[in-house]
Amino acid sequence: MTSTEKPKIGIYGFTGCAGDQLLIIHTEDEILNLFGAANIQSFVMASSNPTEDELDVAFVEGSVSTKEEIEHLHEIRKRAKILVAMGNCATNGGPQAMYTDDGKYEERLKRVYGEGVKFVTDPVEAKPLDAYVNVDYYLPGCPISQPQTFALISRLIHGAAPEPYPHPVCHECKLNENRCLLLDNKFCIGPITLGGCGSACPNHGVPCVGCWGPNPDGNFSQHLKLLESFGLTRDEILRRIRGFGGSKIIKYLIDGGN
Amino acid sequence: MADENISIEPLARVEGHGGIRVEIKDNKISDVEVRILEGPRLFEELVVGKTPQEDLSIVPRICAICNLSHKYAALRGLEKAVGVSIDDTTHLYRELMHHGEMIESHSLHIYFLALPDFLGYDNAIAMAEEYGDTVVMALQMKKFGNKIMRMMGGRMIHGENPVIGGFSKLPSEDMLREIKEEATELLDFAVATIDLLGTLKIPDHMERDTQFLCCKPPGEDYGYYGDLLITSDGQEHPVESYKSVIRERVVSHSFAKRSMYNDRPFTVGALARVLLIGERLKGKAKEAYDKLVNERWNRNPLFNNHAQAIEQVYSLEGIIEVIDKILSGEKATIAQPKQETGIGTGAVEAPRGTLIHHYEVEDGKISAADFITPTAMFLDDIEAFIRTGGERLLASDKTQDIRLHFEMIARAYDPCISCSAHLVEVVYK
Repeated sequence: MTSTEKPKIGIYGFTGCAGDQLLIIHTEDEILNLFGAANIQSFVMASSNPTEDELDVAFVEGSVSTKEEIEHLHEIRKRAKILVAMGNCATNGGPQAMYTDDGKYEERLKRVYGEGVKFVTDPVEAKPLDAYVNVDYYLPGCPISQPQTFALISRLIHGAAPEPYPHPVCHECKLNENRCLLLDNKFCIGPITLGGCGSACPNHGVPCVGCWGPNPDGNFSQHLKLLESFGLTRDEILRRIRGFGGSKIIKYLIDGGN
Repeated sequence: MADENISIEPLARVEGHGGIRVEIKDNKISDVEVRILEGPRLFEELVVGKTPQEDLSIVPRICAICNLSHKYAALRGLEKAVGVSIDDTTHLYRELMHHGEMIESHSLHIYFLALPDFLGYDNAIAMAEEYGDTVVMALQMKKFGNKIMRMMGGRMIHGENPVIGGFSKLPSEDMLREIKEEATELLDFAVATIDLLGTLKIPDHMERDTQFLCCKPPGEDYGYYGDLLITSDGQEHPVESYKSVIRERVVSHSFAKRSMYNDRPFTVGALARVLLIGERLKGKAKEAYDKLVNERWNRNPLFNNHAQAIEQVYSLEGIIEVIDKILSGEKATIAQPKQETGIGTGAVEAPRGTLIHHYEVEDGKISAADFITPTAMFLDDIEAFIRTGGERLLASDKTQDIRLHFEMIARAYDPCISCSAHLVEVVYK
């Protein structure tokens, strides 16, 4: 197969910690194969001189947090057959979206930067990619996991559809035979969080903080009640749950929080 | 060269989304801007109202490459605020964790982000055809750093295993012995890298005097943390006074918050550390220091790559030493807070330079936070070196590779745009 026949891939980073692109770079056993199997046209974090034209698959990391990023996202969407939201910020908005839509964004911005500041590109309140464009696939995680990422990339570059993974963290935690942290009244939100991390934190005896974002099948109202039974107030619980759920977790808290 | 604006955007092979803009007028540089193009995330605001433990899972998300440095700086600040004093063995485990991050970050930068420029490639994968062995070993080195980060952090990136007072889970003795063995095996390659970098021809067009700043490690040894900041004028400053040492200012036409020391730009990172405390190095790291360091290092940021290579040797030797101490020391426990209200400033050396986390905690919740990242400290210095280099290249009519030369200066600092993006670029009009 010549390089022109290989699927064309672009990997882009918006506002975030670059951890998802870094995870791809850090997949030492696969990175050479990936560059061999696909035509990586643009991956600015790893390579100079990108080619920006038609793409088979675009991977975009980060939240949309400036006007310039909104335009860039539309531009990538136009030339990509498939768009993948990569990581929690692109999927849910990330930690920077933990207060999105509370009406106090301008206030926070002023407290950090002061009054009368004219930004070079106007900042906008952090939102996930699908607040602006149609997203074909989601690769959640903070950061994304290597097995999930390379399973998805392999399928996409061979023209197959990736499989959904609708399991909570608890599913993986049970397979790892961890003692349930909720039995010890620990503030764990594994039951309402999407799995894929291999229950990385509970494996170390630390509760899940929810960094894969909300699990749509989670029983939110029951879990809130359980956490309340630990002696925490509803406000305290909601504050913690919102750490990584971005703007998308709000609807589950409203629907399930009654 | 006619009047023009050189715009390098996006700036490749750095962490995060940035660019460089240089304005040329009458064959002179009239303006230089290193642009930060990521949106603000307002982390200092996000952590207000949170508990110290919640903060620890949020702030590493400022940056993936140095996520454990952020965690470590936060731990040092928060533990002072809530009155936690950790035991000696926990301290050693934190050093081990930090060594892992240094190897991960430095190997990524040396071989994958910086070296392709010197050898004439777009990326390290393309470099593999001619330098196959180097790329394969570099991947192993990076994998080793990541293995330690996974072991101590709980996950390769953004693990939650380090907690207030210690670590939730500690590695087994077998695992520690395995890590020690691997560090020993990798030392040859780290030393070979010193020789490889020693053969590179380093351009001198940008050379100018600057200043250096880093943490002064306690005791007599080299290290990556401390409660004193030392500067190249021989001064020492308690970290609590960071605001008067690192003066942030606003410039009228470009970036908002920029950092200066004594009204002049300064360098932080491996180069600053090796120049300020390199005399403390021992063993093979000292041999590497004696082999590579010369007086040009004081004026040329490209030697930051070399300084990172020296630290790579230091950290491999450091891992061996720390593991020996852990294996013969007391068992680590998790220390508990003594108070719910207090103020604390924590400083560590992130791979790319001094990182400061300052916290005010009231009744168990954070009431104020301030973070100063290395990239925010050295942006002024990058611009100053690009200006000097650009003017010399223009004056001697050597402008053929001027864009690459500018990029190489910026890349040498190993800038982390994600870290600095909360100090977003602004224009006052």
